[in-house]
Amino acid sequence: MRILLTLAVAMTFLSAFTLYAVNYETRGLAEEVKLREKAISAARRDIAILKTERAHLSRPERIARHARKLGLAPAKRNQFDAVPGSGMPGSVMSVRSGEEE
Amino acid sequence: MSNGVIITPGLADGALKRPEQSTDVYEQAQAFRNERRATRARSLIAVALMGLAFMTIAGQLIRLAMNGQTEQRISISAPLATAFARPDIIDRHGRLMASDIVMESLVADPQSVLDQQEIADKLATVLPDLDKKGVLNALADRTKRFAWIRRRLSDAEAQKVHDLGLPGLDFRPELRRSYPLGRSAGHALGFVNIDNKGLQGIERYLDKRESVEPVHGPTLSARAPLRLSLDVAVQFAVEDELAEAMRRYSAAAAVGLIMDVNNGEIVAAASIPGLDPIVTMDRFDKNRIDRLASGTYELGSVFKAFTAALAFEDGVDPRARIDVPPKLEVEHYQISDSHPAEGPLTISDIFLRSSNVGSAMLALHSGQQRQKAFLEKLGLTTPMATEAGSIARASPPKRWGDIETVTISYGHGLAVAPLQFAAASATLINGGHRIKPTFLRKVGRSAGHTERVIAPETSQFIRRLMRDNVASKGGTGWRADVPGLEVGGKTGTAEIPGKGGYQAKSVIASFLGAFPMNKPRYLTLVCLFEPQGNRETNGKITADRNAAPTTGRIIARVSPMLGFLPE
Repeated sequence: MRILLTLAVAMTFLSAFTLYAVNYETRGLAEEVKLREKAISAARRDIAILKTERAHLSRPERIARHARKLGLAPAKRNQFDAVPGSGMPGSVMSVRSGEEE
Repeated sequence: MSNGVIITPGLADGALKRPEQSTDVYEQAQAFRNERRATRARSLIAVALMGLAFMTIAGQLIRLAMNGQTEQRISISAPLATAFARPDIIDRHGRLMASDIVMESLVADPQSVLDQQEIADKLATVLPDLDKKGVLNALADRTKRFAWIRRRLSDAEAQKVHDLGLPGLDFRPELRRSYPLGRSAGHALGFVNIDNKGLQGIERYLDKRESVEPVHGPTLSARAPLRLSLDVAVQFAVEDELAEAMRRYSAAAAVGLIMDVNNGEIVAAASIPGLDPIVTMDRFDKNRIDRLASGTYELGSVFKAFTAALAFEDGVDPRARIDVPPKLEVEHYQISDSHPAEGPLTISDIFLRSSNVGSAMLALHSGQQRQKAFLEKLGLTTPMATEAGSIARASPPKRWGDIETVTISYGHGLAVAPLQFAAASATLINGGHRIKPTFLRKVGRSAGHTERVIAPETSQFIRRLMRDNVASKGGTGWRADVPGLEVGGKTGTAEIPGKGGYQAKSVIASFLGAFPMNKPRYLTLVCLFEPQGNRETNGKITADRNAAPTTGRIIARVSPMLGFLPE
């Protein structure tokens, strides 16, 4: 009987500690999830800024300005050609360089 | 007790009755001692276990207390501001036009600020345009625990402020709308307020469509981007050519539009001077209004396309020759042409020569009721709106008599927004289908899905007229021609009304174009406001000398981008 009682007490304590440990492990994991979410959020913010910066740097107005500095000009119609068999009617595919009207 | 026997509760009653049995007593005492030792051991174990439990709890408390310290930030208490997380806006090819980014805002706790003047002075050293008086006012009320100092600092500014190490200040991340293309398509995109709520243009449409989410903090929207029909590259080319035209012809302003005639998709919509969505002052600058949709103007002879279409619909034979006099008197007003006709004219001649008298005769033949109904059918006089907002409503004359019919036939007396004019004109070109202009990409929608309001033959007739007007040297629009591409169009030069009547030297020069005319896909509209004559134009300010060549340059530049190559 004593052994059973001792075992029961021991089991109770063990269960209590296990529950306790699981509880705090869960909290720990929740904390970790929170940290990961924060990291994801921070990464998304960085991506948003980089995306905007890329769009800003590649805006046509800026490219045109730099192109003009290099002596380039808007492409003329005869500098465009279509790739035969591309399956895209009328699509503009390539630019022939060095041609002027 | 008196006989020396130790009586304990653990002994049996019989033992007390036999004191003479000393061996039994000894054994009993021994058993009692053993029992007591066992009890003590059990107590010790229990105490040890309890101690362990308490130590564990204490340990956890200490751990939580220590971890908790890092979680708790000393932050300035403030009402949680509601901002709006907005989806991105992209062009038809997926290029970014507007997006939310997170920026730091500077806030203060007036109670924690030791020296308000020092804060204002030091902040001004790193934020030169800071309103010091405003900062002092914000910090003056020490009963408050929160005050905005500066919303949305750049990273560099935030770092400089941080380096000052001023007490009582803190940073709060906030959403900010960014427009990476600057002023490009600014009128169409519109703008948002300080809390990221859409106030105008497509941004307002996003709010109306409930695509924005109220958030308490810098949470970016996870919603799909809004895809517009605009093409960033075409938009820039139009804006660039318009800016060049303004410089070349010393114009006060210019508008340009490229629209798909089959589904109303607007590929480029420019009103120069443009509007930068993040520059608040631009919104109050009268010179930067959206002339394409927010202003109504008399556009002049470009209206003759409607007059010719109505005459054709009303059965005027295109081969019939009309005796057009040099002058026509209607209700005591004299109508004349700058180059009077030297003989009878067909509808085509009237269109190509841009004869006011001829147009007046065609309009009078149809009558005011027919003209009114026809323009209404095309959507020229009814309310119209796009996703960017309502288009300024045309103001039809209160009295629509003969003289109004005559003046409207050549584009005076009925002021319309250029965008509404373009949408109505698209019907003349696309086979007769009424379209609704839109800034949204509509995949798979064709002309067959829209209501037909004029006969296809009428549309074909107008297309031919427009092509002839550009292809033949006798037409007014030949300067808009682009070799290898069938361009068509109509010029219009409208004097601007002012004090004492119309101003002869102050005009709006317009060109309504379309290409390719064998199977029109795109409509173009260029309006130059108050252009001046120069050597290139031989001192003239008419549309054939400025708006037409500008349209030609625009079409030559953008047609390859739109998939049309020279034949």
